[in-house]
Amino acid sequence: MSWEVKDAESNGVGMMMPPDPADDFGPEPGTIGIAGNVPGEPESWRPPTMSRRAFLRGVICSGVVIASSGYLFSSNKAHAAAKQTDRLITLSVNGRKHRLDVPPNETLAHTLRYRLGLTGTKIGCNRAECGACTVIIGEQTEYSCSTLTMRVQGKEIRTIEGVAQNGRLHPVQQAFIDELGPQCGFCTPGQVMSAVNLLEKNPNPSVDDVRQALSGNLCRCGAYEHYLNGVMSAAKRV
Amino acid sequence: MSYKIIGKDLTPPDIESKVTGKARYAEDFRADGMVFVKVLSSPMPHAKVTGIDLSKAKQVPGFVGVLTADELKQPKDAGHAILSSTPAFVGQPILAIAAETEQAAAEAIELVDVSLEPLPFVIDPLDSLKPDGPNALDGGNVANRRGVKFQEIKWSGKDFAIAGDDALPMGAAPIDWSWGDLEAKFKESELVLEETFVSSANAHHALEPRSAAAYWENGKLHLWGSTQSSSFAVPSLAKYVGIEPKDVVMVSEFCGGGFGGKGYAYPVMAIPAFMSKKLGGRPVMMRMSRAEEFYNGSARAGFQGWVKVGFGKNGRIKAIDAFVVQDNGPTGGFWDFQNFGDASSIVFQPEAMRYRGIPVLTNTPPKGPQRGPGENQTANIMEPIMNKAARKLGIDPLDLRLVNSPGEGGKNATVGAKQSPVTSAYLKEALEQGAKTFGYAEKKKNSGKRNGSKIRAVGIGQAYHSAGAAGFDGLVRITPDGVLHIHTGVGNLGTYSYMDTARVAAEVLGYNWDHCVIERGGTKANMPWNLGQFGSNTSFTMTRTNFAAGTACKNLLLEIGAQVMGGTPEDYDLKDEKVIAKSGNGSMTFADAAKKAIELGGKFSGAELDEELNPMTKASATALAGTGLVAAAKDKLPKKGTVPGLAAAFIEIDLDVETGRVEIIDYLGIPDVGTVLHPKGLAAQVRGAAVMGFGLAALERIVYDPEYGRPQIRGLYQAKPPSWLDVPAAMQSVYVEGATDPQNPVGAKGVGEPIQGAASSAYLAAITEALDGHTFNRVPVVADMIINHVNGLPQSHKPLQIACQ
Amino acid sequence: MTDMMHIFEMLQPTSLDEAVALLDKHGKDGWVIAGGKDSFDWFKDRVKKPEYLIDISGVKELYGIEDKGDHIAIGPMVTLTDLNQNKLVKELFPVLADAAGRVASPQIRNSGTIGGNICQDTRCAYYRDGFPCYRAGGNTCYANTPTAMNREHTLFEAKRCVAVTPADTAPALSVLDAQMVIARDGKLRTVSVDDFFVGPEIDIERMTAVERDKGDLLVQIKIPKTWAGSRQYFEKVADRQVWDFALVNVAMAAKVGADGSIEALQMSCGAVQCTPRRLKDVESLVVGEKANGELEKLVERVAARGAKPLNYNQFKAPLMSQLAKRAIRSLSA
Repeated sequence: MSWEVKDAESNGVGMMMPPDPADDFGPEPGTIGIAGNVPGEPESWRPPTMSRRAFLRGVICSGVVIASSGYLFSSNKAHAAAKQTDRLITLSVNGRKHRLDVPPNETLAHTLRYRLGLTGTKIGCNRAECGACTVIIGEQTEYSCSTLTMRVQGKEIRTIEGVAQNGRLHPVQQAFIDELGPQCGFCTPGQVMSAVNLLEKNPNPSVDDVRQALSGNLCRCGAYEHYLNGVMSAAKRV
Repeated sequence: MSYKIIGKDLTPPDIESKVTGKARYAEDFRADGMVFVKVLSSPMPHAKVTGIDLSKAKQVPGFVGVLTADELKQPKDAGHAILSSTPAFVGQPILAIAAETEQAAAEAIELVDVSLEPLPFVIDPLDSLKPDGPNALDGGNVANRRGVKFQEIKWSGKDFAIAGDDALPMGAAPIDWSWGDLEAKFKESELVLEETFVSSANAHHALEPRSAAAYWENGKLHLWGSTQSSSFAVPSLAKYVGIEPKDVVMVSEFCGGGFGGKGYAYPVMAIPAFMSKKLGGRPVMMRMSRAEEFYNGSARAGFQGWVKVGFGKNGRIKAIDAFVVQDNGPTGGFWDFQNFGDASSIVFQPEAMRYRGIPVLTNTPPKGPQRGPGENQTANIMEPIMNKAARKLGIDPLDLRLVNSPGEGGKNATVGAKQSPVTSAYLKEALEQGAKTFGYAEKKKNSGKRNGSKIRAVGIGQAYHSAGAAGFDGLVRITPDGVLHIHTGVGNLGTYSYMDTARVAAEVLGYNWDHCVIERGGTKANMPWNLGQFGSNTSFTMTRTNFAAGTACKNLLLEIGAQVMGGTPEDYDLKDEKVIAKSGNGSMTFADAAKKAIELGGKFSGAELDEELNPMTKASATALAGTGLVAAAKDKLPKKGTVPGLAAAFIEIDLDVETGRVEIIDYLGIPDVGTVLHPKGLAAQVRGAAVMGFGLAALERIVYDPEYGRPQIRGLYQAKPPSWLDVPAAMQSVYVEGATDPQNPVGAKGVGEPIQGAASSAYLAAITEALDGHTFNRVPVVADMIINHVNGLPQSHKPLQIACQ
Repeated sequence: MTDMMHIFEMLQPTSLDEAVALLDKHGKDGWVIAGGKDSFDWFKDRVKKPEYLIDISGVKELYGIEDKGDHIAIGPMVTLTDLNQNKLVKELFPVLADAAGRVASPQIRNSGTIGGNICQDTRCAYYRDGFPCYRAGGNTCYANTPTAMNREHTLFEAKRCVAVTPADTAPALSVLDAQMVIARDGKLRTVSVDDFFVGPEIDIERMTAVERDKGDLLVQIKIPKTWAGSRQYFEKVADRQVWDFALVNVAMAAKVGADGSIEALQMSCGAVQCTPRRLKDVESLVVGEKANGELEKLVERVAARGAKPLNYNQFKAPLMSQLAKRAIRSLSA
């Protein structure tokens, strides 16, 4: 019996109410059973693995041939569980020192967010492609998602939480409020850090200076002009 | 009409937390003993799981639990599963593992041995329509959540042979409507253009990936999620998890962007909920990576299509005949393709029209509504065609639009298959006013002029999206301290519409904004049942609900005044947060009225409620009963017709023929929003939408390798959302003066979507102007295409090729 | 897919000797980390998982920009921001300063290094996605098939691998006749820029003369003053103005006589070949000529000579020609 879609209900004003994708599961109410993973249960059965060569020669269904299976088998070989060697380091964040045990592969974004409770720094992409994780290390902005925590001990790290001083907003923060810079707000901490860093280096930036300095901070909501007005306004007050 | 609060720039109550980093999003949730969940995603576009070996994964220190697809209910047919054993797109979650640390969860996922049997897959919808073409799902290749059931449709060899390689084959279409005498109107036409086109799908890529955290307590699910809507997402989530909405406590205070992809709850949100339940309610955090956000976070539908437009001598559009094949993704998707018909009918007001469409399933990311779904693709295709036509007819591109666009309040305008009336329309006025402010006449003189390697050009864009609904609930409360609490289920995706619509309640009651508190952010705010934040509807819909609630509150205040001070409610008025006697003898503060309301109980304090209220509103009002004067009301104001969001845009560009680069010199966006609720907020939307529009027009598209069905745009640097340096430093934002919507108590309607399509189509129309009327009939127009064209080279893609470079 | 780096050991040498010894010891299991911006993606995608990271950020010998008289010596750990803003580099070699300033984004330039930029691996989407291609040790190329998506790939010399050199600084160093000093086994060898970037015919599994499994380490970049103070030009065309790698970029260094005729000129394009491509046809054409519209037309004609487009990258040929033309045009001023 095929799946009938009710025509999306119009509420009388002509707006088509988009159907809830949750209705894909059908109208039956009730809880969904959760099987427990009882210890001692046998592992799932699986059929003998087709040999790679046999697979490569295989023709699948309606004549679609997948010539090489490379993408199907991830290139990682199951490695012996590598030992995670944590190291005790001292991290200086917003003027406070923290003693932490971190593994070499931990990023600064993770350390800030999960060990130090500083969730103001956001992870938007984890690949140095958006800037939501921007912090100031020493005197420059960096992507904390692409910085290994172990490599920044001994450096002064500043995050969004350290920008306002004694409860007083930084001129950039106040200006962003006044100019309605943030929309969804997710990129905002990163934009603030880049702006604060710029004004510390160049208290009298041109429009172009601002755009260049913040260019590594993506805003999907497209609030750039409002942030720009905020920085230009803050520059007058700094 | 002059208002006290509406139309002013106000500081939104949540904005400070955004600039200080205190705003908490889903992935900021923390709890003792929290475990981390990671999913195993399908590496194949279509496959069957034939075996799962968890033995090594379970040995990873810190491993805590696993969730597999067989433990969850599966959706029917082309439904969007939570976990699937027959993944239908690269990245579809197959199973989930929880561990004490995120690292351990990742290690465990890597050690899971999954056997997959590859199945035939579809990237190009036309492939699937071929008589012997593959199907994206077992059992069918066509489905759409609006009106097209899951089924198999194949076109004939003849359909394809007649079309040839470069024209759209046009077989049976499940959506097929027309009105007017098409044949006669084309015969009457001075100019008939036929264009074959492609509009690429592109991912929403909201900056906040849809991480979620969950725990259970006392039989209730507590979930931190990223959603555009607050109240609207609750029953949706409840359905995924299979519980009653009353057992859901949802926290959605902040949402890092949605753009249509987070209008409801969505399948992956249920994963931490189920995992937590399995672990006895333990808090569970699921961080979604950017790639996972690409896979699971929705994308705009792609089009392969054909359109035939007949123009009269003066440019009046006599007839439109359009056919759209939609890349529907692997699930029910959204009805972008049907909106092609609606959008072109309302913007161009043709004298006859036919629309046909077919939604074809593909093994690419699930499609969902993205800002102006279908309408913005339509604008991007149609506006350059308008410029081409203008040239051939010898008419100015502005005049060509003016002779067609609806205006004068929309009195003669219709929309869609049934030629339905609209509540208001001022697109013509948008064009006229916009042209004047932009200096179109002056700038037009330089359009087409060459300066070194650059060609200057001016473009005009227009777009539409339905922008309003009715029948939802409002809820306000005055506490004994005299404060007005405006409860709202409007989500916080960054538009501040939660604040702008809440003002209406305050305005009705004459409240000082400083004495108002907005209660929002999820279940704990005791929300009324509001529509979700999508479809540009909030400004229309929730001004009505707040008007209703405010009015109900006003009536209760007047009644209390009469009860306490004598006479009838008609003897009283509201002024300065007091109930005052019109005669001048007697007044009562709202604070005292609230105290009295508690005393009186019943309908005054939320103990007795309108039967027609939604269960969510009733539950919220009941929870608040007795805390003050509680007024819950359903929006029962009269309503008829479609509320159209309309917008126009003007742009000036320099196109460098040597590098293919387009630089935007000047831009003006002018939406028809009726009454402006929040000037700076409107400007933010106009500019933000333009930025996103330029991405749509120039940069963003999905790219799949056709041999392996794997995407090449998971990351942001591949997906290319516009950066600071890809958009002009300054853009003009204005709005149509003198516009108002008669079916909204403050005359307002929404803006978010059409203003994106106006921007993107203006950009594309300008390129057409720069290149002597050439239409690429493909969106986005990237540098490659411009360079090939300018150098007389053929394009690298075939005209109907999709998901390609 | 899990977006978490694999588990590795990180060694942090504090001297060059120590660094070289570690590289020698670990060979293929060792992986040099400078800024890390190229490496972390491999690790987060679990496509490459070296056991030992050798963090060279603590090796002081690898820093600094010094005027050595007949050349300037640049440490590979110099950040792109520092290179872009360095007074000496801006004055003598603006093409390199400009190129460095066009890489990625400010935050990446702040920690990304010149050594990392030129040693970075190619961006082919198939290779990066973990397909077992030639470059990954396999026996095919996924980007050079009749249907592959290859707009960003090579225009020239497709020899089994069609991936391109991605760095913006590479063509700049190429026209400046830079030399790279590589350490191995405690010894140093100097390699010209032309030999530093290697194509598939030399070794399809690496992009440069730095051989990981032999324990190589880039320790210095030398730029002779031959082209110091010459007329220099850099331009990059990319989809977006931030982050994106070049579709095509061009670098030029030229000596122009008092009468306006070109005495000597070197021009190189990136992203059109597996190594930076010197535009020899342009170079031999322009010597002795004056930069003007006529010369530009001729340059346009020969710049992309020999191009053999793939499925989706034919636009790179005219684009390359235009960039070469624009470079020459800058000499008219």
